[in-house]
Amino acid sequence: MTQFAAYTIIGLSLGGIFALAALGIVLIYRVTGVLNFAHGAMGMFSTFVAWQVFYGTPHTGMAPWMVTAEAIGAGLLFAVVLGLVLELAVFRWVRNRPQITKAVITIGVLLALQSAASLIWKNNQYHLPIYLAPQTSTFKIADVPIGANYVVIVIVALGLAFGLAAFLRGTAFGRAMRAVSDDPTAASLWGVRVDMVGAVSWMLGSLIAAVAGILITPFINFDTTSLTLLIVDSLAAALIGGLVSLPMTVLGGFLLGLLETYPTMWIQSLGLPRLIALLVILAVLILRSPRGLPAVAK
Amino acid sequence: MTMLRIRNLGVRFGGVVALHGVSLDLNRGEILGLIGPNGAGKTTLFNCISGVIAPNEGTIHFEGRSLRFAPPHERARRGIARTFQNLQLWGSMTVLENLELPIDAIARRNTLSDALGLPFSHYAERAASERARAILHALGLGRYRDRLAADLPAGIQRRVELGRALAMRPKLVLLDEPAAGLDAGETEQLAKLLHKVRERFRVSMLLVDHDMSLVMRVCDYIYVLDFGKVLSRGEPPVVRNDQKVIAAYLGEPTPELVEASPTVPEPVITTTIPDAPQLPRTDAVEVAGETGTLLEVTGMAAGYAHLEVIRDIDLTVQAGEVVACIGANGAGKTTTLRAISGVIRPRAGRVTFGGHDITGARPEHIARLGLAHIPEGRGLFPRLSVEDTLRLAVDAAGKPERLEAAYDVFPRLKQRCRQAVGTLSGGEQQMVAMARAILTQPRLLMIDEMSQGLAPTIVCQLFQMIDVFRQQGTAVLLVEQFVESALAVADRAYIFEHGSIVHEAPAEELRRDRGLISGSYLGSAPDSTEAIEVAANGNGHHRVLDPELMEILSMRVPAEVKRALEERAEREGRSAGALALELLEEVNHTQ
Amino acid sequence: MMPGHIVRFAIAIVAFAILARLPVGLDPAFQFDAALAVIWGFGILSLVLLTGYAGQVSLCQATFAGVAAYGAGMTVAGMHGGYLLGIIIGVLAATVLGVIVGLPALRLHGITLAIVTLGIALVFDKYVFQDHIFDWFTGGTGGWQVTQASLFGIPVDSSKHLLTAYDVMLALFCMVAVLMVNLHQSGAGRRFRAIRDSELAASTMGVNLARYKLLAFALSASIAGMGGSFYPLIAGSVSPQPFWVFTSLQLAAIGVLMGVRYVPAAALGGLFMAVVPDVLTRYGHGTFMNRFNYDISYDWFQLAVGVLLVLQLILLPDGVWGDIRAKALRAWDVVRMKPREEVRPA
Repeated sequence: MTQFAAYTIIGLSLGGIFALAALGIVLIYRVTGVLNFAHGAMGMFSTFVAWQVFYGTPHTGMAPWMVTAEAIGAGLLFAVVLGLVLELAVFRWVRNRPQITKAVITIGVLLALQSAASLIWKNNQYHLPIYLAPQTSTFKIADVPIGANYVVIVIVALGLAFGLAAFLRGTAFGRAMRAVSDDPTAASLWGVRVDMVGAVSWMLGSLIAAVAGILITPFINFDTTSLTLLIVDSLAAALIGGLVSLPMTVLGGFLLGLLETYPTMWIQSLGLPRLIALLVILAVLILRSPRGLPAVAK
Repeated sequence: MTMLRIRNLGVRFGGVVALHGVSLDLNRGEILGLIGPNGAGKTTLFNCISGVIAPNEGTIHFEGRSLRFAPPHERARRGIARTFQNLQLWGSMTVLENLELPIDAIARRNTLSDALGLPFSHYAERAASERARAILHALGLGRYRDRLAADLPAGIQRRVELGRALAMRPKLVLLDEPAAGLDAGETEQLAKLLHKVRERFRVSMLLVDHDMSLVMRVCDYIYVLDFGKVLSRGEPPVVRNDQKVIAAYLGEPTPELVEASPTVPEPVITTTIPDAPQLPRTDAVEVAGETGTLLEVTGMAAGYAHLEVIRDIDLTVQAGEVVACIGANGAGKTTTLRAISGVIRPRAGRVTFGGHDITGARPEHIARLGLAHIPEGRGLFPRLSVEDTLRLAVDAAGKPERLEAAYDVFPRLKQRCRQAVGTLSGGEQQMVAMARAILTQPRLLMIDEMSQGLAPTIVCQLFQMIDVFRQQGTAVLLVEQFVESALAVADRAYIFEHGSIVHEAPAEELRRDRGLISGSYLGSAPDSTEAIEVAANGNGHHRVLDPELMEILSMRVPAEVKRALEERAEREGRSAGALALELLEEVNHTQ
Repeated sequence: MMPGHIVRFAIAIVAFAILARLPVGLDPAFQFDAALAVIWGFGILSLVLLTGYAGQVSLCQATFAGVAAYGAGMTVAGMHGGYLLGIIIGVLAATVLGVIVGLPALRLHGITLAIVTLGIALVFDKYVFQDHIFDWFTGGTGGWQVTQASLFGIPVDSSKHLLTAYDVMLALFCMVAVLMVNLHQSGAGRRFRAIRDSELAASTMGVNLARYKLLAFALSASIAGMGGSFYPLIAGSVSPQPFWVFTSLQLAAIGVLMGVRYVPAAALGGLFMAVVPDVLTRYGHGTFMNRFNYDISYDWFQLAVGVLLVLQLILLPDGVWGDIRAKALRAWDVVRMKPREEVRPA
């Protein structure tokens, strides 16, 4: 029972990370129509920037929490700039291209970011994570010890999800973003600055990817590829929400996290979680796909 | 003999009923017309027959066999071919290849043999190519043979689509809007072509079109769809004089309709024209005081990709004026509005709005200058709630947030303010679009096909809103399929034909002189008796040819005999079918 | 045979003669690159059929090659079969996987299909090729070792007879390439292209969508598998790394970059993918003008591929070969003094 509870907590925190990454994917996809295969790679790069600041620069005379804050701040700032640069340099120019072309462009971005990162940080695995809460701090609920870092992830994931929802629902800019996601041409006819909305959603999406990347560091021996390939699990979670619904995406993320964690109670395998993710994608897609020819159903 | 028998067909998309209890019979050799306003379910019916979507209920039988479990390609093999309203040619293939494909798709060619280039494939290839060339020749498309289909103008593409459908050796051809974008002369040619096609290729046809003149002229029998139901059916003259049809099609609500239809919605707009005191008047005084030329378009040309749709457009709108643009489908009205509001870039010419040169400016920039464009399909955001949509309008225009002004005019929107716009009815959606103009008080409002797919009573009330805008000081540029209503409310009108403006006149004048519009808009006027005669003649020979004879004729006849028959028919200026009948009778006599 | 067939056949023979001479006399590492270029050439060729002709997206082409490589390795090293049998088993395995991957494609399209195929690539990379459950197929941690192999009695194993293997592969590649061009110009090819341009029109004009989509996936997988099944031969062993998920992504990227609709782009892409990284890693370090030290590694290659792909999709949507081809055609028109036909709007 205790073991089950422990795995549940691990699954939930893993799910929180999937949910976060998926949120960014859905946000960018809905507003700009780009399905971002490079989302994992963007998060990876920002995470490594944060890691570099954390471990690679001298912090004489700084309190530990300040070092953490500085590293995370640097990572997030980098993420925002990265999102903006990508939008300005690449995706602004291909807005009217077919969706699949835009997706292939993100594959180019993925390859470039991944190899750039492994040029800088080499292909080693990194074991030194960034902890938001002290590594050793745990508390107990009904005799189950819970690491504070796990709780942090769940809280951050839910907080960001609700924050994003509130931003989209409650602010003028959020309304503009939703309008652009429904119909960019119509939105421009209503006077919405579509370019700016696109840039902001890339910055936000990149930011969320960075948060997910930084949060996952305590749980895996991370390297440039494993974080990049997080994209598959995130896309699976995003597909549970149909690439549209934010609440369903978050739910899908947590669900997928649990699904991928429970089997590891019995089987220790690198690839099994991915197989589960794939099966979930397939099941969801087949259930969701409309009757008739896709060309008409669209 | 019934070739196509449809019973009780029903289709729902989510909560929207697209078709309900539709029954239809098509006889062999017949050209059946299917008409109705936009959104009446005509294309949905086509999609059901060709197997693209599965109906929720009802049956379709083709030549006595159910089509229920037949996938689209199986239906094609049984002899159902179709064309598409939004052209679906294979753009990266040449015209010839477009026609060859259906020929050998039916023939079940072997992939391996094709890759190896075995003799079998070689012969099949030659046969397909020859047949395709013959059809291209018959349709007068020979010179486009080696062009890529995507590079052709839309009118030619439509003819290629017809050719592609015929290449399949079909028994039934479904034609979806073959006359879209054609002018009166071309439509007449098309009518003749369709009769020729029926004779030469021995096909039955189901024809959907907006152009009443074409349908009336070509079809033997007509079904009228409205809101997914069969509103009326009969031979052309009967349908033409049916009051319900006139009401549905021309947007003139008649007392009979109001009585007959139990589902006429209660009045939805409370504002009456003479007194609209609850209208916000903050900037109105200032705006209404504006005089002079608001919008000036000179020598504008625009288009999409390879196609130039409009050219030499000169158009002005004075402050506070209501101007209508009328003309056939595809005449370039919508493209003109899109080029003005910046959705597409003009290729030539100049657009000035309120003193600013807005040629090629971004749409959001133009919108912020006070030019609101309600595009075809209303340009709303289906997932936004009504309230959020209205807030978006005032945010973007930088106006104070007083949504009450809109709710006063459209109380129904107040009730629905939390509902997503996509779940509203068409009429309510149009109210949301127009509420934007009330809240932001633009200097010019351009509305494209305001009445599309709406019930006549609602349309009538929406037109009253135009007068409200006029009082508010907003100039209006209308593109409208209901000419009558548009001219009733407009001050001035431009008539579009073939991507240019051919006439400009005060609305009053056009109201009096119907001849001016009918030529470009309605094809030839429906009241011309000549049209009826042609239609009757067109019907002529299918009554002579009984179904059994049609069966005999569709048997394999040696090519020489067929050619001799056709040549003689051409010499004598008669139809080959009639000639064959005569010859057969002779044979019977001698026996 | 039609005249077109003869011309294509002649071009293929000339191309074979030239390409077969290229690595002769070079050091073994370059000969290995040449053989690898053919393998990746097959990979991109499979993408030309699937994406370029039939319009279906796949991000798991390297997986097909990998399955064939393991299939061949298993047959030769695990079951002591002949190498020809190994190739057959390998290609069959890839084809079966192709059909399985094609099944979801009957319901999915575009980006969703891309996601699913990426998932499949990842599952094979991390699970099938690496998990102990599949040791019977993958030969365990060390993979299969292929040291002695012969085709039709001719020894072709990697250590001494690399060029023989290269010639065999190249001949097969040229043959498949010709068949694919034939296909493109014939009825079956038109059906694939019709599915790419408009599925709706294709199905209502008598094309059996399910049949031709599955056929496209099966053929594509078997072409990728043909390349893959030679891998144990030239490398001497099989490991998961050459067929991991990033190879699939690179294949897709380089295929699109070179022009995914054109068969010659496959040869171009294969060469690019095999030779450039090796040249970079071998000659890419040293000192420039006695002052700047530089060290170019494999990662620079992938970085370049990514950046080039992005630039190409913005600037030359039809790919490198498509662009060259269009320019050549235009030049040819100028030479013949043929006026360019203008399309007159209606």
